[in-house]
Amino acid sequence: MIDVVFLLLVYFMVATEFKVGEEVFRLDLPKQMSSDAIDDPFDIDEEPLRIRVATLGEGATSYRLVMEGPYDQPGTFDDLFDQLQSVQINDVNGGGLFRADHPIIIIPGRTTRWEHTVEAFNAVVRASYSNITLAKPQ
Amino acid sequence: MSAGYQRGPTSINANLTPMIDVTFLLIVFFVLVSQIVEVENVAMELVEPASPASERMADEQRAVINLVPDVDGGLDSYRLGSNSFPPNDDGRLALRANLIALYRGNQSLRVNLRADRSTEYQHIEPVMQTISDAATAAGDVVPRINLVVIGES
Repeated sequence: MIDVVFLLLVYFMVATEFKVGEEVFRLDLPKQMSSDAIDDPFDIDEEPLRIRVATLGEGATSYRLVMEGPYDQPGTFDDLFDQLQSVQINDVNGGGLFRADHPIIIIPGRTTRWEHTVEAFNAVVRASYSNITLAKPQ
Repeated sequence: MSAGYQRGPTSINANLTPMIDVTFLLIVFFVLVSQIVEVENVAMELVEPASPASERMADEQRAVINLVPDVDGGLDSYRLGSNSFPPNDDGRLALRANLIALYRGNQSLRVNLRADRSTEYQHIEPVMQTISDAATAAGDVVPRINLVVIGES
């Protein structure tokens, strides 16, 4: 009997698939605005940086990125990371344009695949920005 | 001559009962864990960023929403725990009701969103809207989500 019990034990140990390697991006979604919400008149609006992501074809590398504004357009997610890092105001880069908490909106298209959306999100997080929003699909 | 010597040599038997007990407990543990993981982890191809800036899952109360993929970037269903919902307005209403109940039980709940890499964003964004809507309806809770990916480790 103990042989069978050991076999069962080994089976379940091998068959149990733990969530190995799973990690997360933490994201606070914007709250649904209630109709009686009052805007703070002393709030200074910061024009968010908008990044559009589109899937062009089947492959993982078939995508297009557009940074709205007078910036060099990134060809890849690594370019996007470099771009965002170069325009950030920090200890190394005093001449940057945006603070780390500058609002950044990622705008995927309706048919943009999740992998491209998350890769864009990853590039922004890698560049140490903290105020990121995923917009409605356009 | 002593009495013990007269009885002849004594035999030594190992008592296997505690070992079998422990082995059974281990089996029960692995059976339960495999069932829990099966409910939370629907098989799908998660996004695996090239240089991930993601972080390890913190030990906190969470609900897991699996967006079960269909062909051509569509969705087969939403799954919250062991409950499945169709990927339409009715399904999202039912999902919202379930989430409101969870948020009322725990205001600091985080929702893990698991989606396949090929799923189109138009199918994912309404679920994020539903989470946000449910959090607001449950008493102005901040809707916090985790986008689940495969990290470096």
